[in-house]
Amino acid sequence: MTTDVQMTVNGARHRVAVADDDLLLDVLRRLGITSVREGCGVGACGACTVLAEDHSVSSCLARAVRYDGVPLTTADGLAEDDDVVEEFVAAGAMQCGYCIPGFVLMGHELLAQNPAPTREEIAAHLEGNICRCGTYQEICSAIEATARRRQAENERRSA
Amino acid sequence: MTAEMAAPLGAPTLHRPDTLDEVCALLGSLDQAMVYGGGTAVQILIKQGVLFASDLVDLSLVPDLDGIERTDTGLRVGAMVSLRRMETDPVVRRIVPLAAQVYGHVANPRVRNTASVGGNLAHGDYRLDPPTALMVLGARVELRSSAGVRHVPVRDFFVGFQETAVAPGELVTAVEIPAQTGSSSGFAKLSSQSVNDWPCASAAALVTSPVQGQRELRLGLGALAEVPKYVSVDVPSDAGVADAVRLGQEAAGPVIDPIPDIRGGADFKRRLGLVAVEDAIRAAWGSTGGTETGAAGRSTGKEGSDARRNSRRRWWRSR
Ligand SMILES: Cc1cc2nc3c(=O)[nH]c(=O)nc-3n(C[C@H](O)[C@H](O)[C@H](O)COP(=O)(O)OP(=O)(O)OC[C@H]3O[C@@H](n4cnc5c(N)ncnc54)[C@H](O)[C@@H]3O)c2cc1C
Ligand code: FES
Ligand code: FES
Repeated sequence: MTTDVQMTVNGARHRVAVADDDLLLDVLRRLGITSVREGCGVGACGACTVLAEDHSVSSCLARAVRYDGVPLTTADGLAEDDDVVEEFVAAGAMQCGYCIPGFVLMGHELLAQNPAPTREEIAAHLEGNICRCGTYQEICSAIEATARRRQAENERRSA
Repeated sequence: MTAEMAAPLGAPTLHRPDTLDEVCALLGSLDQAMVYGGGTAVQILIKQGVLFASDLVDLSLVPDLDGIERTDTGLRVGAMVSLRRMETDPVVRRIVPLAAQVYGHVANPRVRNTASVGGNLAHGDYRLDPPTALMVLGARVELRSSAGVRHVPVRDFFVGFQETAVAPGELVTAVEIPAQTGSSSGFAKLSSQSVNDWPCASAAALVTSPVQGQRELRLGLGALAEVPKYVSVDVPSDAGVADAVRLGQEAAGPVIDPIPDIRGGADFKRRLGLVAVEDAIRAAWGSTGGTETGAAGRSTGKEGSDARRNSRRRWWRSR
């Protein structure tokens, strides 16, 4: 069966016809959202990560029909001056960049739930993301740096 | 014509009912229907070409399956509650800390955000982590069909390799978990591949408060036989941790019968299983406030990791 659904991606609404077994990953890529990527296809690498109502989801294991009207965020929809992205750039946390959108979104999810994570907590949250270029240290540093930056901004604001 | 007849098994029909009665009616009338919970296991089976179902019955639109209720005896957790919520919900962490701890060890945060408590149990895999905790906590599964509701203890739920007590026409609607009062607990998950991989061996241990000089030491074992296994043994409450470990290992040994696979041979897993048992018991016994390790101020986590390091060292020496 095909259903007309509304995909709400980074605030933009798209009406799309999706088959019952269409994966969210494929539907998003058909919409031109190529920051969502296929790696393992079985939930283990994080290249296909999207945030659904601020919760990370592997879009390779998710059926699109279930996300009718659910606000989705993908890495390419983040603000031009997104703090996590800026800290990734500053830390040099990437080589080929294939995995990075997934890591950036996982970083956003973690910092929303835990504004001051320890290095261990960062590693635990990223345990299901794989970087074949091996920039893990820099990625963890970038997330730590974002946490520090947000804290400094909060202190400035409340001062 | 032939192609059309073969089609149902190729791409199962998706049903999205919005009442529980409708779910039961579909499961009761369709020939080879399968429940679709979080879908994390089902989607992989589809990709591997090994899903044999004519129809999928999606539970996501059914109301009232995703609640966590406080009951007289503990918690009633709806089948569609996510594993991540079990890990992070303050009520779960307070009432059944062992369950929260163990759910937090499944896969990775994305899978935990999507996978459901009911789907995890019904998946029936012998390597699942959550059943180890649910068995020692004495939890029971609520099953429903058009014929009514019945309950099955998690200890009796896994009946054979990849086989559960869920009968045709039934679904899991909830899990009831007794409150963890007066007991202390520990969990160890040992992986031979990446840390967030399926376990090569896992063990949950729960030590009850003393009754007439005895504590009950309960063990739930994952990945160590063709189903998750449960054993228990009485231990004198003034016993030292070394005795508790020995009694626990003696009780666990006979039920450990591992399936060799890419994560290790049967012998390797048997030895690793006993290490997991030791780690879990040390973490649990260390927080009973009993003799030897009763020193206040040492956290379970610290003791657990110390214990793990020491027992790993011992294990390597004995190779
Ligand atoms: C990358 C990865 C790593 C993993 N690592 C681990 C691990 O380390 N430890 C671990 O324990 N697990 C692990 N898993 C397995 C994971 O726990 C299961 O995939 C998940 O719990 C299944 O839940 P679900 O809701 O997605 O089930 P689904 O995929 O929806 O269903 C699974 C099975 O249960 C049935 N079912 C679903 N809901 C119900 C219901 N309410 N009533 C009756 N039957 C139902 C389905 O028909 C199907 O047979 C891993 C999975 C992935 C993808
Ligand atoms: S492609 Fe989805 S997690 Fe790897
Ligand atoms: S930067 Fe290349 S895979 Fe991570």
